[in-house]
Order: sequence, then structure tokens, then C-alpha cells
Amino acid sequence: MWAVMKKEFKSYFYSPVGYVFIGLFLIMFSIFFYVDVFTYQSTNFEYIFYSGATILTFIVPILTMRTIAEERKSGTEQLLLTSPVSITQVVMGKFLAATAIVVITELCTFMYFGILSFFGTPHITTALVTLLGFLLLAISYISFGILASSITENQIIAGVITIGFFILTWFLPGFSEIFTNFSLINMFAKFPSGQIDIADTVTFITFTIACLLITIIFMQRRKSVR
Amino acid sequence: MNMITGFIEQTQGEVIVDGVSMLKKPKKAKKEIGYMPEGVPLYTDLNVKEFVTYMAQLKQVDKKVRKEKVQKILEQTGLKDVQKKLIRNLSRGYKQRVSMAGALVGEPKILILDEPTVGLDPKQITEIRNLIKELGKTHTVILSSHILSEVSQICNKVIIINKGKIVAIDTPENLENKVSNGNSVYVTVEDPNNKVDTIKNKIKDIKKIDLVQKNEDGTKQYIIEANGDVDLRKTIFAEFAKENITIFEMKKADSSLEDAFMKLIEGGNK
Repeated sequence: MWAVMKKEFKSYFYSPVGYVFIGLFLIMFSIFFYVDVFTYQSTNFEYIFYSGATILTFIVPILTMRTIAEERKSGTEQLLLTSPVSITQVVMGKFLAATAIVVITELCTFMYFGILSFFGTPHITTALVTLLGFLLLAISYISFGILASSITENQIIAGVITIGFFILTWFLPGFSEIFTNFSLINMFAKFPSGQIDIADTVTFITFTIACLLITIIFMQRRKSVR
Repeated sequence: MNMITGFIEQTQGEVIVDGVSMLKKPKKAKKEIGYMPEGVPLYTDLNVKEFVTYMAQLKQVDKKVRKEKVQKILEQTGLKDVQKKLIRNLSRGYKQRVSMAGALVGEPKILILDEPTVGLDPKQITEIRNLIKELGKTHTVILSSHILSEVSQICNKVIIINKGKIVAIDTPENLENKVSNGNSVYVTVEDPNNKVDTIKNKIKDIKKIDLVQKNEDGTKQYIIEANGDVDLRKTIFAEFAKENITIFEMKKADSSLEDAFMKLIEGGNK
């Protein structure tokens, strides 16, 4: 598992994907930072993450769309499946590598925290809770992205499915109240106010586990049906 | 082949690798197999050394000896000079070697090579073949190929499979002998008076003479089949000379693995 993770992590930086992800996130985040801090004259670090979550919606697919789809297309899947590692290890390795990229991105956002502490006293615990919530949101996004990548050979299709699903769950509450609890991005909303909601936390984690499990089952299935 | 390597699960029967069932203990069984897939899929964004190291990690080569083992394999496959190059930038022959190195790592007992020489130029083909021969001394090598001359050159046991059923298991020599069409001789002659047919009456060992083809320069190629195990070449030469037939070329008809293959497959389809 660690071997797969290490290689995947390295691959993110051998190709532009890793840089694009982190760079794009930070550029967007900076813009929101500017708008929030200067327009509203606030030194609140957490609230920028409301916007940060929407950025995540659009850039997570960059990270996940190639994970399994590309292996299948180039045939390197054969190398993985014929070596003595289980499918679970492969999927977990890929998942952890993508998560590591998000963690790095989060660490980068600390520089905004540093800037803010020059002008005021941002709250470190709420900031950490927000980052935790942000990470939880990210892992559920990533796991769904990997799932989408495992059902098709085409990266683009995987990416579109992922973005489509995220946007759908984002806007559904606008159509009807019923969907409020289905929206991943809504579940994140409580974290920036400094509270760790157990229900939301559990939902994020179960969603992640469910997506990864389905991915593993899909790959296992394909192995016997092929 | 895909089932032996554990890429596809079997629906019937059982794959047992060195006494270990692929279905029950896949990790242990896969450890004994080095697989070089057809079309050499590789991680093209890694360099050669990184790729081989990654394969070593996947095959759980002990961390202490990993570096050493990787270097040894790079040397063995002749990749030492290009180990820092990105796989993407390598030629097809080198890619083939990298794939082979990936299969070799972890010291598997069984090597499975799927079409290892496809798409290579003649020099690369001989290089890869020599490498395979070398490996055959220390490993069990299972080679799948449709280039039968290659098979008869490298392999010491051939399995011909037609529509999922094993048609023959034997050494290439035995297979060739099995279908050999008696003792025949090909002759190419210039024969303006069409006297070849009369030869049959003069040499009693000849069973039959068939015209194979007429060449553009007026010569004709015949196949002359003998009764039993007689070498006809001497008598043919003598008799043809008497009849003023000029021999341009004469050779014994060797049956090849191709003939054996065709016969076995056709027999199976009937």
C-alpha cells in the first residue's frame, strides 16, 4: 500500500497535476482571501474556507480522474493486479496519495493565517477545526472521484462525472429542502463556526468508506467478468 | 495466461503455482510469477530505475537488499546506461527490456512472457532472445508467441492451444518430426523437353513427382517424394544429368513447426 502511495504521490509531481492542483487552489484562495479580508475588513480566517470548499468542488477531479482510468487505458493495471498486492491496497494507496496532496495544500493555507495574525488575533482552534472539516470534505470528494475513475477508461468522462455529481449535490438543496442533508458542501458549513458536528463527521467518513468499497468491488468484479 | 498471472479470476478449474492455489492464496502465488504483459505497459512518467524499484516494492523485496537487487537486474538486462532516462523517451527495444526487468525483479521462479519480441528490429530480437535463453537456465520461462521460428529456436517444450483446448504438448523437434512428409526433395530445374515425368520410371524409389511452381525465368520447381527412408539426392542428380536436365537448386524438404501447427490446428477444427 505504501509503495503504491509513494509512487502515486511522486507521479503527481512528475506530471503537472500536483502543481496545477495546489497552484490553482492557492490562486483562487488568495482571491477570496483578498475579497473577504479587504472588503469586509475582517480578520476571520475560517470564513474564507466557505469559498475554499467551492474551489475544491472544481479541482478535486483534476486529482482523481486519472487514478484508475489511466492505469486501465495504458494497461499498467496488469502490472498492479499481477503483483502480490491486493486491490484494496491499490485503491487505498491511490486514495492516500491524493489525500496527501490536499493536506499539503491545507498546510500552505497557514500562510494566510500568518498574514492575518499580523493584523489581528485569529483563533487557532477554530482554524484547526475548519481545516479538519475541510479535510473531511476533501476525502469524501476524493473517494467519489476515484470511484468515478474506476468505472470508465476515459479520464475526461471520469472528471465530468465527478464534477457533475459535486455540482448536483451542491445545488440540489436550492430546489427542495429535502436535499439539504444530502449536500456534502452543506455538511461542511458548521465547521468554520468552530463546532465539530458528530453527525456530519460520521457522514463524511461513511461516504468515503462507501465510495472506496464500491471502487474495490467494481475492480474485483471486473477481474472475474472480463 | 491472464488467469495464471491472476489478472483474471478463473471460472472453472484451478491454477496452482508451485503448489500454491492462485484463488486461495493469490499473494503468495503471485510472488512466484514474473509477468511481462503483451504490449509492454509501463509507467512512462517514471525513469527506468524508479520503475524497477517500484516493481521491487510491489513485489515486497526486502528493503535492505532492494537497491542491490535492482542494480543487479538493471545490469542483467543491459539497462544500466539508461537507468536515469524517462521510460517515455526510450526506444521500443529498451522498453521491452524495462518490462522484462520489471518481471524479473523479486526473483520469481516462473517468468511469463507474452509476445516478447513483437515490434522489434532484427538486432533487438536477437538480443531479447539471447536474454530469454539466458534466463531459461535459471527460471522456468513460459513464452507465448505467434512467431513459430522463434519458438523452435528458444523453447524446449511446446504447447499448442486451439480454441481453449490443448492440441499438443511436445518438444519442437518431436512435433516437427511427427508431421514430416516422408523424405522429400525440392528441385528447381530447367527442363525444356518436359522430361521430368519420365524420371519417375527410371528411379524406382520415387513415389511421386509434383509440380510446385513455374518460375518466370522458365525454370520449374518440383517436389519429389521418396518411398520410405531413402535419400534421393544422389540418384536424382545422376539421372537428371543423363536426361540433360539442368538442376538449379536442390534441397531436402524440412518440415517446420509451422507445418506441424497448421496440421494440428486443422485436425482439431474438423
